[in-house]
Amino acid sequence: MSAPNENNVSQPQLSAHVFDELLDSIIMDVASECHRITKLGLDRNLEEEEEELRLSAQARARVADPSNSSETNGKYIVDIFGQTHPPVANEIFECMNCGRSIMAGRFAPHLEKCMGKGRKARLKATRSSTAQNRYTRRNSASTYSPYSNPTSTSRLPNGSSGVSGHEYSNGSLEEM
Amino acid sequence: RHSVNRPPTPDTRDDQEKEPTLKEIINIKLIESGEKERLMELLRERLVESGWKDEMKSLCREYIKKKGRNNVTIDDLVHVITPKGRGSIPDPIKAELLQRIRTFLVSAAL
Repeated sequence: MSAPNENNVSQPQLSAHVFDELLDSIIMDVASECHRITKLGLDRNLEEEEEELRLSAQARARVADPSNSSETNGKYIVDIFGQTHPPVANEIFECMNCGRSIMAGRFAPHLEKCMGKGRKARLKATRSSTAQNRYTRRNSASTYSPYSNPTSTSRLPNGSSGVSGHEYSNGSLEEM
Repeated sequence: RHSVNRPPTPDTRDDQEKEPTLKEIINIKLIESGEKERLMELLRERLVESGWKDEMKSLCREYIKKKGRNNVTIDDLVHVITPKGRGSIPDPIKAELLQRIRTFLVSAAL
């Protein structure tokens, strides 16, 4: 170690001092650079993250907002993507059994009636004579008459609504 | 009367105390010889190579994320990275720089 000089500072201390000064300058430069990048919005990742945070906060607000979530508002329920869905699905298509135009949300109840699961259809089926024929049709190749009512179908013995009579009248099935 | 507040003109007697300190002399010599610039560049290069700069930048980014882009000053960032920055200089880099500085001091007869 060199002898202390006039200011009583040793040489290694001086070197260390110079080094620290250099380091502080560089730290300042790094901070300055980061600050610039941030303020100018040049850091893409940061922006994306901010955007996501903002959107999820928005979504959360929407979900928590009582005026949006009440079912009594009818159609005006907004989900987190901002979409509204009507309480009853309103796409319209053709019933493959009777050929009528049915609304999607009403399709299940329609099928019940249409295919004989409902009370009215069951009553209709048991009352008509052609229904009697259908019950026995499976066991023998008896004369088959198309179903009397376009909206009613055959009623299988086991009570389940299986293949509909509509297909029979197309001649696409067995035993004709 | 005076439109500007200024401190009184210093006495010539005070000149003795204004003699540059050793540190100031060294700094002047470093700058004048260009060695300070060279040392800075060397240190910068080594710190980038070692990933130190990236660490500091990621510290900054974390801080900015937390505090919000518009609430951050350069001063904040300096305070964020200085302790870690000073403490995480790899030893070989520090040794190399100290060696160069020492050589310079010797050559400048300090």
